[in-house]
Amino acid sequence: MAANRRHFVMALALALGLSGTVPAADQRTFIPLIARGFQHQFWQSVKKGAEQAAQDYKVTISFEAPEAEWMVDKQIDMLAAGLARRPGAIGLAATDSQAVIPLLRKAKAAKVPVVAFDSGVSGDLTATTVMTDNAAAAGLAADKLAALLGDAGDVLLLAHDQVSTTGVLRRDGFLDQMRKAHPKIRVIEVQYAADPLKAAEVARAMVQAHPRAKGLFCTNEATALGAGKAMKEIRKSGLVVVGFDSGKGQKDLINEGVMAGAITQNPVGIGYKTVEAAVKLSRGEGVPKVIDTGYFWYDKSSMRDPRIAPLLYD
Amino acid sequence: MQPMDVLLSASGLDKAFPGVVALRDARFELRAGEVHALMGENGAGKSTLVKILAGVHRRDAGEVLLAGQAVDIDGPAEAQALGISIIHQELQLMPHLTAAQNVFIGREPSRFGWLDERRLNRDAAELFQRIHLDIDPTTPVGTMTVARQQMVEIAKALSRASRVLVMDEPTSALNDLEIAELFKVIDKLRSEGVGIIYISHRMDEIQRIADRITVMRDGGTVGTMPASTPLPQVIALMVGRELAATRSPVPDSSDAAPALEVKGLSRGRLVRDVSFAVKRGEIVAFAGLMGAGRTEVMRTLFGADRAESGEIFVHGKQIRVRGPVDAVAAGIGYLPEDRKHHGLATGMDVESNITLPSLSRCLRAGLLIDRQACAEMATRFVERLRIRTPSNHQIARLLSGGNQQKVVIAKWLARECDVLIFDEPTRGIDVGAKAEIYSLLAALAAEGRAIIVVSSELPEILQLGHRILVMCEGRIAGELPGEHATQETIMALATAWH
Amino acid sequence: MALMQKGRQQLLAFGSLAALVMVFGFLRPDTFLTTENLIGILQATTVTGVLGIAATFVIVTSGIDLSIGVLMTFTAVMAGLFLARLGWPLSVGIPATLLMGAAAGCTSGLVITRLRVAPFIATLGMMMVLKGLSLIITGARPIYFSEVEGYEDISTGSMLGQWLPGLPVPNGVVIYLLVALVASLLLNRTALGRYAQALGSNEEAVRLSGIDVGRWKVIIYALGGGVCAIAGLLGSSRLNSAQPALGQGYELEAISAVVIGGTSLAGGSGTILGSVIGAFIMSVLVNGLRIMSVADEWQLLLTGIIIIIAVYVDRLRQT
Repeated sequence: MAANRRHFVMALALALGLSGTVPAADQRTFIPLIARGFQHQFWQSVKKGAEQAAQDYKVTISFEAPEAEWMVDKQIDMLAAGLARRPGAIGLAATDSQAVIPLLRKAKAAKVPVVAFDSGVSGDLTATTVMTDNAAAAGLAADKLAALLGDAGDVLLLAHDQVSTTGVLRRDGFLDQMRKAHPKIRVIEVQYAADPLKAAEVARAMVQAHPRAKGLFCTNEATALGAGKAMKEIRKSGLVVVGFDSGKGQKDLINEGVMAGAITQNPVGIGYKTVEAAVKLSRGEGVPKVIDTGYFWYDKSSMRDPRIAPLLYD
Repeated sequence: MQPMDVLLSASGLDKAFPGVVALRDARFELRAGEVHALMGENGAGKSTLVKILAGVHRRDAGEVLLAGQAVDIDGPAEAQALGISIIHQELQLMPHLTAAQNVFIGREPSRFGWLDERRLNRDAAELFQRIHLDIDPTTPVGTMTVARQQMVEIAKALSRASRVLVMDEPTSALNDLEIAELFKVIDKLRSEGVGIIYISHRMDEIQRIADRITVMRDGGTVGTMPASTPLPQVIALMVGRELAATRSPVPDSSDAAPALEVKGLSRGRLVRDVSFAVKRGEIVAFAGLMGAGRTEVMRTLFGADRAESGEIFVHGKQIRVRGPVDAVAAGIGYLPEDRKHHGLATGMDVESNITLPSLSRCLRAGLLIDRQACAEMATRFVERLRIRTPSNHQIARLLSGGNQQKVVIAKWLARECDVLIFDEPTRGIDVGAKAEIYSLLAALAAEGRAIIVVSSELPEILQLGHRILVMCEGRIAGELPGEHATQETIMALATAWH
Repeated sequence: MALMQKGRQQLLAFGSLAALVMVFGFLRPDTFLTTENLIGILQATTVTGVLGIAATFVIVTSGIDLSIGVLMTFTAVMAGLFLARLGWPLSVGIPATLLMGAAAGCTSGLVITRLRVAPFIATLGMMMVLKGLSLIITGARPIYFSEVEGYEDISTGSMLGQWLPGLPVPNGVVIYLLVALVASLLLNRTALGRYAQALGSNEEAVRLSGIDVGRWKVIIYALGGGVCAIAGLLGSSRLNSAQPALGQGYELEAISAVVIGGTSLAGGSGTILGSVIGAFIMSVLVNGLRIMSVADEWQLLLTGIIIIIAVYVDRLRQT
């Protein structure tokens, strides 16, 4: 069913591509951005950055994403439709870096440059990748957590899922860094939760099962919010919680002292740099192979720092 | 020693269902190349017998010989393998499939794993040819007339090389021409040596088509006789007793406004310009053949189906019936023909069923059920109607047919309805409970209620009705006073369509 | 007889629950059987438990409501709109939220009865509509209740704990059990409950008894919607935020709880107590497996098997 629809859309896209009108020279360059999600705060910030860049560079963008991150086929439909509109360039945060390859080949053949953002696609089908180095960012979380624990003790890991690129990279980046740089810290359990309510239950059960655990790392906003709320409910003290991304709920928890701090990416920067790179590519200018938009540790004291504050969203 | 041409013989058949003994030492014999009519009142055991032969029910005791061999018919598939096919009253065809697809359903010819649609149609065409049937095998069955569908059903049975063919009321939905066509096919099958068991209520037909008649009564076989046996003799055997004259006293004729008056009620083909009135204390019986529109009139009158036109008056006051809600509010109660599907919430207990239409009368603060009031109401009617149940909290499904029917009656009495419509009140109920329901109806009429009885059983109509209205093709074909009507006069009106 | 049957059904469910608690208590006596963890299980049950109660009413009529998970989200968003954005006081905002839930349920009911769309499809459509509305209203961003005084306490505060310091049961759990009690009364002791069961048993018989089937169905779906709104308040209070992306999938958990509790999807019979026990069985199972550090994917697999076994055992009991 999904496959059929995909074929249909691809056929439709081809038909449109053949018969569609070529944008006139004075028309604005069109750059579709196809993300992995839009319901998450993070993506809203990416979108904000992209819109800012579109304004600065006077191009038209669209920002689309499937309802859920696992809807690989829907994303492919969107990519096909985007391609069919003869864009100047395309921005893509692939849900499945393998599944998009046929369409990326088509893009390459049609000389439409593709900018990967937030997560990369292996090979040379994309011109550049604009992203946070998720593994290194999670490694920074590991360093910070280790420092807060005096470099010893048992810690827990609550990841947002076991299949998505960011979920896997952040989990493994955290585990690797602990193993390499902090041998006295043991990560005793890894669990997963997809939404904040579930994260609250999972965090409670983990802490219950391991009363001696001293630290907890949550790999995204939803898990951090849920776990933080759960720790607040049971008035758990002596457990250091470190999160990822921001959002008002997480920021409140950090301000209240329930969480020690979190890693923030630069989502607005990702959006901005993606459009910027796409514009340059559409004009035939060169861009570096990887554009790292950076990541930062923040806590209660540094939250209002002028270098940090703009990166945090509510 | 069995005579050579005996195809099937059954003897000593017993079958009991919870609450009802359906067969008691039943016998039956079918010869090859014979049309053998099975007759009896409803509940006499005809369909149970036939269902045992078709593997739908398992017998409790007795033996069945097929061509001299004892057989154990375990299920419908086994019956078909033995060459016994049954054509049910409700046809078992898939309306969206073609005639050919229906005939060969489950046994589609295939080639290299693909359906061989061409061979399917060719085989079906041959089969239709064999019974002189002019049907395009590729026509979807749903677009055919009922008569044609029935022919497809017969072809389906023949395609399985049936030796025994059971036809349950095959003509109930057919007109005269179609019946003639069906009889031609039956003749053809007879000449090929197929044994046909023919169930029907229509005496004229049986005398036309059948070779022998077996009469059943109360689950047993009364006797087998040639089809030429005079009708009154057959009926006497079927009824088996003088029905007790429990007719209620003649209603008060001085009552000015009738309890119920219907004028010009119409809906579709089966309710055409129907007008009648029922007085307080009167039982009006509706007779007619199946498909004459009796049930449809009642459903329309009650609002279960929407009337296209017509006026309804209750005690002289016109009411608007947009749904059963309005009819019930006006004091009309309806006991549907299909008790299990329409009359009872079978998964609920006796008390909940009895109080269902009157629940709003035993509430406290308009919301909470007053359990004591409910229990009292239920107990009152359980006692009054002598409903045999272990308690008021017995699940309705577990009661016998007669007691289920009494629960439905209780439901309307509790609602204080004074116009009561009984659609086939004794269907599937055994003889003892029947008599009880007859006297109950008489008593209800004597209390001043207006009662309508729809029945397919002529003795029932004759016994209960003060007046008898006979329907034919959606119209009231005539009216007979109860005390002067006979089965013959009723049948004459019921079949007056040609 | 009927009462005995119902009683037996609940006894079976309750026995399974007790057995589960004993097994986990035996395997992990020091971590599973602690007041804190048991309260955690109670807390974890509140949202799906309340949704299970909403689902019970609809399922008893032999209907189904797939929109309840998202309906919970939608009402949480409405609460955010009323309380956080518009700044209405709790005494106005909460009833308004409950009304919104009832209105959404009522809409489903009307689509089912007036437009004669099958409940499965009608509520599937409603699910998408409500999800879309939630995202539109919030701009796909959570609404936080940080400025709403006392909102967080609705679910996580403990009035009981103030009176009985040894028993810090969160308000959310108390509210859940109160909702269950009222729902049980509604289902067993009122005309609404009786009609709901009769509808599930034989809708045509109810119609031919002169009861306005359409009206009662709409009322039942509206009631279900109102109960979902309670779940919406509890969930958003716990997170102190209305999360517009959350909710889908919760309807299936709730329906599973109802089914484990012995309510038949064919309608006609069902008890609130059964659904409450079913919800607890689900959360005890998940909590116990987590305490034993069983991986997520195995938890899912085991939960699925338990649901199938529970329904199979229930079938055996019925035949």
